[in-house]
This record gives sequence, structure tokens and C-alpha cells, in this order.
Amino acid sequence: MIGGRARNWVKVIWVCTILTALYLPILSVLLASLANTRYMRFPHKVWSLDAYRGAAADYTTVTLHVISLQIAVWVVLLSVVLGTLGAMAYARYDWRGRTLFQKMLVLPIFFPQPVLGLALLLSMSALGIAPSWKTAVVAHAVWIVPIVTLVISIRLFGYDVAQEEAAFDLGASRWQVAREVTFPALWPGIFSGALFAFLLSWSNLPLSIYTSGADTPLPLWLFSRTATNYSPLVPAIAVIGTFVSGLVVLALLLLRRVLSRAAN
Amino acid sequence: MMRRNPGFWFALPLIAAMLLFFAAPLVIVVWFSLMPPRSFDLTTDFGLQNYQSAFADGYGPPLMWSLIGATLTTAITAALAWPTAKILHRHAGRWASIVTALIALPIFISESVRLFGLSVFLMPGGGILAGTLKALFDVQIGTILNTRFAALLGMVYIHFPFMLFPMLLGVGMIPADRIEAAQDLGAGRWAILREVELPLAAPGLLVGGLLTFVLCLGANAEAAILGGRAVTVITAAIEQRFNYAQDWPMGAALTVLVILVTAALVFPAVRRIDLNRIIRR
Amino acid sequence: MTKSPAALSLTGLTKRFGAMTAVDDISIDIREGEFFTIVGPSGSGKSTLVRLLAGLEAPTSGRLHLRGLDITAMPANRRPTAMVFQSLALFDHRSVGQNIEFAMKMKGVAPEARRLRALELLRLVRLPESYYARPVTQCSGGERQRVALARALGSDPEILFFDEPLSAIDYRLRKTLEVELKELHQRTGKTFIYITHSLEEAMVLSDRIAIMRAGRFEQIGTPDEIYRHPTSRFVASFMGEVNILAVSQTPAGPVFADLECAAPEAAGAFAVLRPESLRPDASAPVTFAATVTQKLMLGSRTQFHLRAGQAALIAEIAAGSGASLSLGETARFGFDPADIAWVQA
Repeated sequence: MIGGRARNWVKVIWVCTILTALYLPILSVLLASLANTRYMRFPHKVWSLDAYRGAAADYTTVTLHVISLQIAVWVVLLSVVLGTLGAMAYARYDWRGRTLFQKMLVLPIFFPQPVLGLALLLSMSALGIAPSWKTAVVAHAVWIVPIVTLVISIRLFGYDVAQEEAAFDLGASRWQVAREVTFPALWPGIFSGALFAFLLSWSNLPLSIYTSGADTPLPLWLFSRTATNYSPLVPAIAVIGTFVSGLVVLALLLLRRVLSRAAN
Repeated sequence: MMRRNPGFWFALPLIAAMLLFFAAPLVIVVWFSLMPPRSFDLTTDFGLQNYQSAFADGYGPPLMWSLIGATLTTAITAALAWPTAKILHRHAGRWASIVTALIALPIFISESVRLFGLSVFLMPGGGILAGTLKALFDVQIGTILNTRFAALLGMVYIHFPFMLFPMLLGVGMIPADRIEAAQDLGAGRWAILREVELPLAAPGLLVGGLLTFVLCLGANAEAAILGGRAVTVITAAIEQRFNYAQDWPMGAALTVLVILVTAALVFPAVRRIDLNRIIRR
Repeated sequence: MTKSPAALSLTGLTKRFGAMTAVDDISIDIREGEFFTIVGPSGSGKSTLVRLLAGLEAPTSGRLHLRGLDITAMPANRRPTAMVFQSLALFDHRSVGQNIEFAMKMKGVAPEARRLRALELLRLVRLPESYYARPVTQCSGGERQRVALARALGSDPEILFFDEPLSAIDYRLRKTLEVELKELHQRTGKTFIYITHSLEEAMVLSDRIAIMRAGRFEQIGTPDEIYRHPTSRFVASFMGEVNILAVSQTPAGPVFADLECAAPEAAGAFAVLRPESLRPDASAPVTFAATVTQKLMLGSRTQFHLRAGQAALIAEIAAGSGASLSLGETARFGFDPADIAWVQA
């Protein structure tokens, strides 16, 4: 076609612009963390890692990570258990209430998160439950469990149930079928679901704002310190926190590789 | 003996959890919204006075700002995501996968980190953009920080991937031969978009649009970090009622209003969309 | 000499994808009102060729004229041609009527006029008018074929292209649709250009057939010419089961190398012999001994698989016309050299 080359350039430029726009703010955080002055004066007169030294020496850094990790681990466990069972009901079995179940399940996803957090805060206060990291786990789970259920279901849709029948036919017990056929088919979905759950919980701000009480997870601390009491410590901890979540994902991927090698 | 299908038993834990932690809190919120102002107990003393005073006390504007923000963000992200989705689908391959992964990655970086980044980028004087321009070209620029526009920019920035990914699924539902057939039958670029591409991609567009709109409806971090005091969104208004004014019934009534708007949009859409069909691919 | 310009005229049409040449320098004139069929195996470039003609691909070089008008650079949506796609490519989100009216809607024809024409087309393709409002997703395979045909006709095209539209249909329905297509061609008088991998289908439908191989036309001719005088083994092999015998030259004259018998009046390097020309007849002009290795009943005929020297041959005999040969039996078979089609390559 005429002008095909020009059109391709327009496309390349468009995609590059989108990517640049998405990553400039993230890069900005990194740049901001390399200052040693209390007020941002970019370009920095002195580029330094002082903020990281400060963050490493500050016990707050550890506390924030521990709280975020605590919440994320519980959310992952809840999501994997409920999500796997839910995915079986969503995609594997045909049952009477399935269509309704499928439609109701997506409602929490299509719900404004801060409003969900506020609703949970109000009802817990009404029931006399003090908000803490535990209530944050519940809030996260309400939003994340349905997502994980869908992620696992995607894998299950491609699954041929006749494989289980074949295993039965070949003399496997119910338990053996689950272990040898069903679980291996589900495993990739469960793994991606767990990754999703961890990352979504670790980075979540809108649900944590109203439900975590006195326990402050990482994103909430960053949010409040951005508005007041800014120092280069804020971007430094933001970078560290993002880095830690990357490390956790890497560790999980490594773990999967080790497990699958052990299985073979 | 009655035997239920195993599907029901597999669904049961999830159903129980959702009733307990999603449906029940919403019921409590609705209940509270019907209580007399500034009460802290759930009684049977129902009344609608909170709703009556919601608009009289000036909570209309925050709700309106949230609706306007959500509408604009949905429209802008859709306009940006459509060409992107078309390009990524058309040139599927290694590069497209890498670009797709790069677009997905920021979702997993906390929005407080990214919004903070956007604010230091836009900051006047010593901000990343202003500072760089000053140092390199000796150009002084102002800032859009602490305006409604900045808040909108933040909303678009945060929600773009939420629009793009459902849209990618939608664009994937357009078979190439349908476009060729339309072309062959005399359809121009716009006619193809209107008659073939948009209807065939509709499920993806609807999911993306709905998700973006609903997430934006509750969004308050963008307005707080980037908008300064330029705009009060509904979530901020509710929080103010709950925490500072200690008027739970009023906060609950405002929450119910947001939930009603959400439900009015989500219920008809969820009834129409066959999510299985989108996911199954 | 004045001659009306060809309906479609291809001049040196070539399409390359990287190092691969899909369509290699094809030139041909297609006459007004002709049913022209291009037959080739998969990968022969026939689909690419029809996509070039429809304007869905741009040629690497060469020109394309429609009634003398150069349309090489004209995009598909402005060409007065229409295609029936292999997948049919029906708009599943629209009704039967909306599908048929699509091209008219694009041209801005008024709704009422569109509807009348659509109903007329429904009758033409033998679908009841009640199908007008039906979603295409509720149509059967054969009905979808007819809707696709009506949709293409709805653009009132000068030329209709068909990209193997019947390839995914079962045998009986295909036969019915072939007849209907032929009748439709006669009734509308339009130029049809048809792509298929089945020479049998081409024989039934066409005025002229082009056999395509590796981006080029191997042979062009009427069904009768192709059937009687294939110019190569490639074309002959397209006709289904045929016997191909290599001829070699010896001091004693040409012989059928595999059969070890003389090849009188050899007019080419290979002899193409139809199964029905081979008979268990010791008095035929050319005879040889053959052993029956397989015997298949084909209804009206009986097929014998034979081994004669190095050659494996196929003979077909009308059922009931004697020859009660059984498996493993050796007998003398023969043929008349007049039945041979000679090819050079």
C-alpha cells in the first residue's frame, strides 16, 4: 500500500509516546530519590544515595514492608484457596446456579474500591471491630479473590474434562485423578493467580486507606507522606518497596522452576 | 436423597465469603443511611432525612465532579487505547508482546508511587520537567499541578491499562476477514469502524469502559495528590463525613448514592455481557 | 479490428512476499460473462491471485484493467467487484437482511430500496423472505453460503470472485450448490472468477479453466481441452486417478520402460492413460501381463489395482461387463494408443 512506510512510523512513534508517558513518572521517582536536600531542586546539585542510607537505618522501612508483606501473604493464601475452588465452580462444572454465580462474582471487581473500603470500615465500626492489618486483608480479598478466580478460570476453559474420565477409566482413584490430572492442569492458573494476588495487594492503596487502621502498609505511608512532610526518604522508600515486590515475584518464579524440576 | 452437583459445593466457600464481606457490609451501609443523623446505632427508626439533606448540604458538586471526571477519563482513555490496541493486535509478535508487558507492568507498581512520580515530574521550579527545561534550555514554565486538569491527567495515567487490556481482548474478537469483506463491499475507513469493528469489539469496549468508569467514580488519590484543593471528589466528601464530622448516617447515604450510580451502570452491562465468551478465547 | 475490452485483463501480475513469489508474472484476459476457474493445490498462489484481483493485496508489479480501466491502485472498497470468502466472513452481529444490504448501505441507498433489493436477492439465491430478519448465526451451512452469495450480489458487482467457498461443505450439499451457482451465472450473465482445488468442481462449473502451479498458469483451456489434452503430468494428476507411463528411447524404438513393451507412435515423453481405457483385453493394440493386487467395487464400475513389471496401474471396468478377475490372478491387459494423451513433462 502507498504510504505504508510512513504509517508504520506513525505507529512506532505512537507506541513509544505511550510507553514514555507511562514510565516518565516512574523514572521521576527514581530521580527524586537521588537528592539530599529536603526540597526538590532538580537537577540536583549533589547526586547522592543518602536517602537510601537513611531508609536503611530507619526502622519504619522494615515495619512498612512487614505490614505490606503480612497482608499480601494472607491475601495470596485466601485467593488461591477460594479462587481455585471458585474456578472449578466457574468453569469446570455445569450446575444450576452457575450463570448467576458467574455474574455475581464480577460485581466486586466492578465496584469503586475506596467506596468498598468505606463501606467495610463503617460496618466494622458498627460491629465494634477495630480496623487493623487483618481488616485490610479482608478488604483486599473482597476485590482480589474474584480476579484470581477469573485468572484460574481462564486456564480451566481450555481443559478437556474427558481427561479425568480417561484417568478413571484407566483405574485411577478419585484422589489420584485430582493429583495426577486436575491439579497439574490447574497449576499454571493457580500460580499466575497467586502472582496477581500478591502484586495487587502489595500495590493497593484505595482499599488500604480506610481499612488498615493504625497499621500502615507501604502505599498508604507513601500517600500520606507525599502530601505532608516530604523528604527524599519518600521516593527512596517507594523505589525500595517496588524493588522488593520485584524480588518476591522473581523468587516465586524461581521457586516454580525448582518445583517443576523436582516434579520431573 | 438429594444430591447437589459438585459445582455448588466448590462455589460455596466463595459465595459465603462474598455474602459475609461484600453483601453484608453493603446492607449495613444502606441500613445506616436510613438512621437519624449523627447516630451510631442500627435501629428500626428508618427515615430518609440523610438523602434529603445530601443535596441541600452541598454534596451535589462532589458527586458531579466525580461523575464528570469518570466520564472524561473513560472517553480519553478509550480514545488513546483504541489505536494502541489496534496496533498491538495487528502487529502481534515478539515486539507487541514486549510492549504489552511494558504497559501492564506499571499496574503492579502502587498508584501512590506513580502519582507521586507524576507530581514531582510536574512540580514547578525544581520539578523534573521544569528543572530539566530550565537547566537545558533556560526556559521557565509554569505548572498545571493543583488544578482539576492535573487530577484528570492523573486519572487518565492510572486507568489507561484498565481500558487497554479489555479493549485488546475486544479487538481480538474482530476476525480480519470481516474487515476485508466490508472493504470489498465498498466500506471506507469510518464505515468499517462503525459497522464492523466497534460492534464486534463491543464486549471488550464495554468491559473496559465500565471498569474505567467505576474505578474513576471512587478515585480520590489523584485529586488528593495532583489536584490540590482545586476539586473535592465524592469519596473525599464521604471520608470527611465519616472521620471528621462523625456523621455516619450521612456518610452512608452518600456511599449509597455512589453505589446506586454504579449499580445502574453495572447491572445492565453484566446481564448483557457473556464474560465466558471473552475469557474463553 | 475492433474488439470490446476484456472484463478483466491481467498484465504481468506479480506478488512477492519477501523471497517467496506467490504470483509470478501472470497475464490473461478474462472475457465478459465468462465463468473462469483457477484450479491449483494449496500453496500454488491461487488465493493470493484472487486477493490481488479483489484489491485486498497490492501487486508487487504488473497491471490490472477492468474493461480497459486501470484499477491496479484502486482499493478494494472502490472496485466494482465483490468476493465470496472461503470463511464466508458473514457479519455475525447482523441479520441476514443487514448482511445483504451492507454494500447498498455503504453507497447510501435509501432503506426501503435496500430492503426491496435484499428481498429480491433472497429469492434469487432461493432463501425464503422470512429469513430477512433472522440473525445469520441461526442459519445452517448451506443457508450461510446463500447469504454470502446474496451479500456479494447486493453490491451489484461487475465481477464476482469466489475463494473456495464450497470447500468446507459436505458432498451432497456441494453438488446442489454447484448446480445453483451455474444457473445463477447463466441468469445474471455476470463474470465469475472462481478458485478451487477440485478440478472436478471446475469441470462442472466453468467455461474456461486455468491450472495453477507455483504462481504460474500451467495450462489454460476449456474443461474439454483440459480433460482430453492435458499438457503436463501435473495437470493430468489433477484429474484424480490416472496412469502415467514414462517412455524411453531404445535402439529398437520407443518403449514403455516400466511395462517393457513397445510404445508405437510415441508423441511425448509420458503417456497419460485413463483407468477406463485399460481393459483385460488380449486383442488390444498394446498388451502386457498384469497381476491383480486389489479389487474395489465402486458401484457402477469395478476398479482393479494392477502390477505389471515395475509399474502399478489402475483399470476401471463397467460392473457386469464380464472380467470376473480375482485377486492375485494374472491376465493380459491392453489399451488403444489412440486413448493416450501425450505430455512432454
